[in-house]
Amino acid sequence: MRDAIVIGSGIAGMTCAIRLAERGVHVCLVSPFPSERSQSVLAAGGINGVLSEHEEGDSVACHIEDTLRGGCGLAGRKAVTGLCESAEDIIRRLEKAGTVFSVDENGRPLRRAFGGQSFRRTYYCGSATGKHIVSALVMELRRYEARGLVERKLWSCFYSALISDGRCCGVILYDETKLDLIPLTADAVVIATGGQNAMFGKTTGSTQCDGYTAGKLFTQGVELKNLEFIQYHPTTIETKQKRMLISEAVRGEGGRLFYLEDGRRVYFLEDKYGPNGNLMTRDIISREIDAAGKTVWLDISFLGEEEIMRRLPEVRDLCLKYIGLDIAKEPVPVAPSVHFFMGGIAVHLNHETNIKNLFAIGECASMYHGANRLGGNSLLSAQYSAIVAAEEIASRAPAGGVPDFAAELGEGRAHLRKLKESSGSRFPVTYIREMLADTMREDLGITRDEASLRSGIKSIDYYLSLADGINYDSSVAMHELYSLKAILQLARATLTSAESRRESRGAHFRADYPCEDDSYAAATIISYDEGRYSTRLDEERKYES
Amino acid sequence: MKVKILRQVSPFSESYWETFDADVPGETSVAALIDHINYNDDITDETGRPTTRIGWECSCLQGVCGSCAMVINEVPSLACETFVRDLVKDGNGTITIRPLRKFPIVHDLVVDRSSIFENLKKTSMYVEEYRPSSKAKKAKQKEELAHRYQTAKCLKCGLCLEVCPNYVNGERFLGALFANDCYLVSSRNPERSAEVGKQYAEHFAAGCSKSLSCMDVCPMKIPTIASMAKMNRKA
Ligand SMILES: Cc1cc2nc3c(=O)[nH]c(=O)nc-3n(C[C@H](O)[C@H](O)[C@H](O)COP(=O)(O)OP(=O)(O)OC[C@H]3O[C@@H](n4cnc5c(N)ncnc54)[C@H](O)[C@@H]3O)c2cc1C
Ligand code: FES
Repeated sequence: MRDAIVIGSGIAGMTCAIRLAERGVHVCLVSPFPSERSQSVLAAGGINGVLSEHEEGDSVACHIEDTLRGGCGLAGRKAVTGLCESAEDIIRRLEKAGTVFSVDENGRPLRRAFGGQSFRRTYYCGSATGKHIVSALVMELRRYEARGLVERKLWSCFYSALISDGRCCGVILYDETKLDLIPLTADAVVIATGGQNAMFGKTTGSTQCDGYTAGKLFTQGVELKNLEFIQYHPTTIETKQKRMLISEAVRGEGGRLFYLEDGRRVYFLEDKYGPNGNLMTRDIISREIDAAGKTVWLDISFLGEEEIMRRLPEVRDLCLKYIGLDIAKEPVPVAPSVHFFMGGIAVHLNHETNIKNLFAIGECASMYHGANRLGGNSLLSAQYSAIVAAEEIASRAPAGGVPDFAAELGEGRAHLRKLKESSGSRFPVTYIREMLADTMREDLGITRDEASLRSGIKSIDYYLSLADGINYDSSVAMHELYSLKAILQLARATLTSAESRRESRGAHFRADYPCEDDSYAAATIISYDEGRYSTRLDEERKYES
Repeated sequence: MKVKILRQVSPFSESYWETFDADVPGETSVAALIDHINYNDDITDETGRPTTRIGWECSCLQGVCGSCAMVINEVPSLACETFVRDLVKDGNGTITIRPLRKFPIVHDLVVDRSSIFENLKKTSMYVEEYRPSSKAKKAKQKEELAHRYQTAKCLKCGLCLEVCPNYVNGERFLGALFANDCYLVSSRNPERSAEVGKQYAEHFAAGCSKSLSCMDVCPMKIPTIASMAKMNRKA
């Protein structure tokens, strides 16, 4: 193909743009803000891979098995094999791009332990791995920008996809500098817009990850997958502005979780799961903390100030700054929070959606993590998925002509005009977004049941009925206004998917169906047709080919 | 407490000050304070006159993305890690907030920092082939690595440019973030050192009067002076 539009410039979007440019494909990289502001910079703990030099006993096969086991039977073996086999190449390329990995005395990259993994295979940059990868990729990408192969389009947001006869030939963007919708066409479109953290209000992620793009595409006929699998990270702290992540690296470096009973520390995870109890997978630990019903603390102070400053300096700074507590001296109170989305846009092995020439990569796509993601695997999958999609696009013949989309554009403009011209009492979208977040946290928590999910769906239907009728506050950014409805529709799809899975598996725990049930050992696919949300299990494993 | 904000509807309109009343605990960050003002049914200024919501930019809300850079009580700062307790005493007093002055205003506190990225592109701040020198002694390598680690954390937030007495609009002098990127490129690929050195001389060394105020406001505490020393040594 000759050209592609990549929506989103986090680690996935940048990696895809770089690989496409290397292959001579012209890229337009779209995001409202530069890559430095993407959620990817928040990634702390590290990236997984078994390199030629590895811990004794470890192997790529073992990385594959750990990932499949973590995913509780829902991640496809073929996809996961490709992911783990490419890890060495991906990490070596990151080194070559200048990523400042933490190294030992001899300059060899260091590894740390991460949850759910049999060996130490998480490579890291202190506790700011995502930031360092982003910095390196930004520079690498700049080389292709300077050559004119990649054009960055800032201040622009995805509005909708241009789809005709099951084929995508471009997008409509909202351009904040022109305050208007603009159409953009290309042979292929790649969606790399990250997860949907903001749907849950305060989480560990970025406010930019609102789920709008996945929600809008859903209403345009794109199928979504496994939305019910939402990772709650067990160790986060509450602050006035958000829930902040205490990286799993703390437990990887030996951190212990406990609660107090009669003034005595109870190391409940070690008591139940043995000496490695603190490194069980995130779904298990989050449920155990939830079940403990008491304040749970995370202690790493025994490592001493010097080691903490060497291995976890950013975690120490964060706690000092936001809760005034020094992890080198005392334990931190922690609780689970929404953190990562295993589900998202359904894609085939080549990362194409059910719409031809429309691809999805990174956290917005669902492929490698099944019912629960292992920490350190998503920085890897963000890049691997990007490379797979780029190679596919580069190897294809250019797409045919572009149909006339004047009607879609006209409709879009009329819709925005209506929002802008809202008069009467001005209703801030934030109110509905806040109510939505409350509903999602309450009804789609770590533990769900039929009643909570039904009640959640009822609430969302109510918010949806308001969305068309309210007088919007036109002083807020246009993206905030037009995004509301599709975000609600994505929320509705998420609750519907959770309701349809009447079993417990990985991160999806149903109090009314507490056991795993073999008849559900397949991905949930949800589709939309004029207000109807239909789920099915992908029993033929259509999305694993 | 009073919160006085410099506002502007669009790039083409006049700016104006507006003052709000707010009552929040000291541990509230300025980011949460703006949110607090915005999260009201009818938002009014201190005189009770209805007004519009304040535009501002955020993403990570924990000081690692640079979105929320603005000038708070005359100090260029990140709103999400500047706390009310450090700005007013016992909740009394005025917090003054204005957008960064060195960039075009988009809306209220939102500015267009595209020039930062355009300039890095124009001056070819990329590595090409990664060939770090391996000749240096171990101790030196360790020190280099530590400096690279710190420098690569640059948020491109623009606070160093805002505070700099020499940075005007990014037409010639490109400021501390440019000096640090020069160091990163030449340390990753010494073969580009000469070329990068030339850019450094023209777009940084010739204009820097070493006030070093950039280091005081850098949220990542990047020791720009060390990058300067390394670049000068290379030249
Ligand atoms: C606090 C935290 C710590 C983490 N730590 C780790 C870790 O240690 N290891 C690990 O493997 N994973 C970690 N993760 C997960 C990992 O960081 C993410 O899964 C990964 O970075 C996602 O990258 P991405 O490129 O898919 O998305 P993002 O980085 O979220 O990028 C999304 C991009 O899309 C853009 N965008 C969004 N909406 C639109 C729109 N409508 N139009 C145009 N553009 C849009 C955004 O501006 C952004 O540029 C962590 C996540 C968090 C939140
Ligand atoms: S919002 Fe990211 S630095 Fe403030």
